[in-house]
Amino acid sequence: MDNAPDYVIEMLHITKEFPGIKANDDITLQLRRGEIHALLGENGAGKSTLMSVLFGLYQPEAGVIKKDGKEVQINDPNDATALHIGMVHQHFKLIDVFTVLDNIILGAEDTRYGFLSRRAAREKVLALSDRYGLKVDLDAKIEDITVGMQQRVEILKMLYRDNEVLIFDEPTAVLTPQEIEELMEIMRGLTREGKSILFISHKLNEIMEVSDRVTVLRKGRYVGTVDTATTTQEELSRMMVGRPVQLVVEKGPARPAEPVLKVEDLRVPSRLYKHDAVKNVSFTARAGEIVCIAGIDGNGQTDLVYALTGLEKPSGGKITLCGHDITHAPIRDRSDAGMSHIPEDRHKHGLILDFTLEQNLVLQRFEEPQFQRHGFIRFDETRKYAEKLIEQFDVRSGQGPVTIARSMSGGNQQKAIVAREIDRDKPLIVAVQPTRGLDVGAIEYIHGELVKLRDEGKAVLLVSLELEEVMNLSDRILVMYEGEIVGEFDPRQTTVEELGLYMAGAKRQEVTQA
Amino acid sequence: MKNRLLKLWHQDGTRSVMASVLSILAGLVAGSLIILIVGICNPTLGLKSVWDGVRLIFGGLFATGRNAAGALTFGFNPASVGNMLFRATPLILTGLSVAVAFKTGLFNIGAPGQYLAGTAATLFIALSIPSSVVPPQIIWFLAFFGGMLAGALWGAIPGMLKSLLNINEVLACIMTNWIAANLVTWVFDISNLKNVVENTKSGYIYKTTFNNVATSKLGLDLIFHDSQVNGGIVVAAILAIIVYIILTRTTFGYQLKACGSNRFAARYAGIKDKRNIVLSMAIAGSLAGAAGSLYYLSGNTEFFWSTYQSLPATGFNGIPVALLAANHPIGVIFTGMFMSMLDISGLQMTNLTAYNEYITDVIIAVIVYLSAFSLLIKTLLGHRRAHKTDAPLKNPDPDGTQADSKADGKEALKA
Repeated sequence: MDNAPDYVIEMLHITKEFPGIKANDDITLQLRRGEIHALLGENGAGKSTLMSVLFGLYQPEAGVIKKDGKEVQINDPNDATALHIGMVHQHFKLIDVFTVLDNIILGAEDTRYGFLSRRAAREKVLALSDRYGLKVDLDAKIEDITVGMQQRVEILKMLYRDNEVLIFDEPTAVLTPQEIEELMEIMRGLTREGKSILFISHKLNEIMEVSDRVTVLRKGRYVGTVDTATTTQEELSRMMVGRPVQLVVEKGPARPAEPVLKVEDLRVPSRLYKHDAVKNVSFTARAGEIVCIAGIDGNGQTDLVYALTGLEKPSGGKITLCGHDITHAPIRDRSDAGMSHIPEDRHKHGLILDFTLEQNLVLQRFEEPQFQRHGFIRFDETRKYAEKLIEQFDVRSGQGPVTIARSMSGGNQQKAIVAREIDRDKPLIVAVQPTRGLDVGAIEYIHGELVKLRDEGKAVLLVSLELEEVMNLSDRILVMYEGEIVGEFDPRQTTVEELGLYMAGAKRQEVTQA
Repeated sequence: MKNRLLKLWHQDGTRSVMASVLSILAGLVAGSLIILIVGICNPTLGLKSVWDGVRLIFGGLFATGRNAAGALTFGFNPASVGNMLFRATPLILTGLSVAVAFKTGLFNIGAPGQYLAGTAATLFIALSIPSSVVPPQIIWFLAFFGGMLAGALWGAIPGMLKSLLNINEVLACIMTNWIAANLVTWVFDISNLKNVVENTKSGYIYKTTFNNVATSKLGLDLIFHDSQVNGGIVVAAILAIIVYIILTRTTFGYQLKACGSNRFAARYAGIKDKRNIVLSMAIAGSLAGAAGSLYYLSGNTEFFWSTYQSLPATGFNGIPVALLAANHPIGVIFTGMFMSMLDISGLQMTNLTAYNEYITDVIIAVIVYLSAFSLLIKTLLGHRRAHKTDAPLKNPDPDGTQADSKADGKEALKA
């Protein structure tokens, strides 16, 4: 290994076993100094376990870790910190009510006679934010700034601690397309300054765009490491999933039939501001078509969905579902009238994390005669039903129906929600960012299911922030900007650029009601 | 066999029980230490008294007195055990009250007020309907269910404030407690029951036996003779089992727990979260009401009606009873008995040694303090175990494990 490249971190032949499963089986990962190295794998492929080993949270059964060519022993996260390894977690570890500056210095504060001395820290943070182009308001509270800015705070936290190896755990899952662009630019800037980046992701387009090399894991095993320049998305997804993956949804032409959902002049009050979040929105979703609402996050899509599904009260307008006026109906009645809902936030609305998988799978249906008798739960029927769904939708979990939802991986949590909502077999399915944070295999699967629902004659209302998904999946696109629908498009006759102009508010057309 | 033991150790419930047992032991040890310190510092006591005191702390329930030589004797003491059961009855019920609310994500600190509401309603019914006209058994049932109903109404008030106006239930409960305390005083003050006094006591309402109404002894007095025990303990145990069944077996319990665990997801699923909050508080209130009702229907207890100055401790003691039981309805039966056993130990201490019963208040205080930490202790136990076996806590799913073990401690603290 004399003229070997300059590796800053080497994880050689790492094996980590849990009872009943080899989470990492002889995995080798070598990070060159100054590169962006992507770690690619499906949910459950062992990415997080490998990173936990690097962070000292787990001790591997076999294998060695080298830092700058020297073998090191990492027993706990403090050791990792001492070796200048830092991580931006998928869910940020910030204190909401503290200022940006206080969050950055937390745990590494300078003190003077026992008092906090922020002056030097402020200068250092300002210098860092200048150098790396990380614009933040140091005196703003975390709860007041955007998710993208919170992420920059996390990055500054790592830089403040002089970390040279930066791990990004699925950093784009929570960001808007614009913020993702900015993040990529920041990451490139960091490597120019000599930092090395490990980028955990399963979004192929991002990996292709930003990384230098990719290491692929599958089911706990090492598949290979390739140079990004010499590979393709198709190749990577084949390595990751183990079979060729359909990246573009295959679907025939839509055959729209009778209207299922009719929205007229809907107005929804904003939860934060005085003006309406949704202003006089009208549209129709017909049986047998996928209608997509596109737009940049925060343009009223969430409020629109809340009003449609009954989580929020509209202040005006009318919603008709299968001929029933549901404008002011309780949630249960909307469900009975024919609506199922894959919610945007799977932890807040989609699941009760402390309940078991089977309890979650009957969340809306527990009162149906199939699952209860005289108010007593029919445990055997619930179990049978859960097993059927788990089997049919390939929901993977540690202990099957009795797994606590919290312990499942994000992809499988989402699959469980999708399984539950699809199996309720309603004429309208409202799917809000159904593939957020999921890997290619799961995305392919969920897209396929949505198309299948359409072909069965259901109306699908898709709300998505990802233009690729919008273009791929929908039969009709409605663009939302500042609470209004500013354009209606046929995906075959428009471009991403055109949509982008409408999403940014640069253009608008008068939409005649469909 | 070893595997089965290991599996048992791995269960969540085992950890809860262990955490509670540790809190209890720590409390008893702390009490013993105080006995020791007081004994050493006080010239009239000495080491022999210390040894007696410590033995009474751990085994006061089974103390039978002193023998001719002046040494403490231990054995089955039917009066002590019977009194323990009698005093456990209201504690079990207020403990249940707090536990049910906890399951729905509510902190019912209003048990004292609900207890008073139940007591007042029960006494009015039990003493106002003449037993010469209506059979006493029927009066008993009316009084008991009247007490539960009054408690339920009193509990439903903070429930409604919470669900309709989003007022924190702790604040509302504290206020309704004092409203109850004053209201009960006023109601008895204007009634003609307040002057019913026995012997030289004043300010007390007559025992319900004055009207021939009392809880049936169910033959328990034959086993535990010379004690105050009655069928109330059986009623409390049955109520605990009913609550357990409701929470674990019924769709209603499923809804309550869903609201408690994640109100947003429950609402998303079409569960009426507001209605469930009111119902949960009403059930909690009815249990606290039943506690007051059974205590004063015993026939051996008199109610001091001028309650406006203080709230009944039984109501507040429901909180540690529920905490120690980790809000498990069946566990509450045992922790309620344990708390009343401490009372008995205190009495025995006063009777048999120069120490006074307030030592047991210290023990209770330490246990209450630690039981608030029992979730933390539980988490620590879990971590130790995780280190020992070097395995993830619950699941072999490699991607989920890391998040899970980290979340575990945090969630426990949050809860």
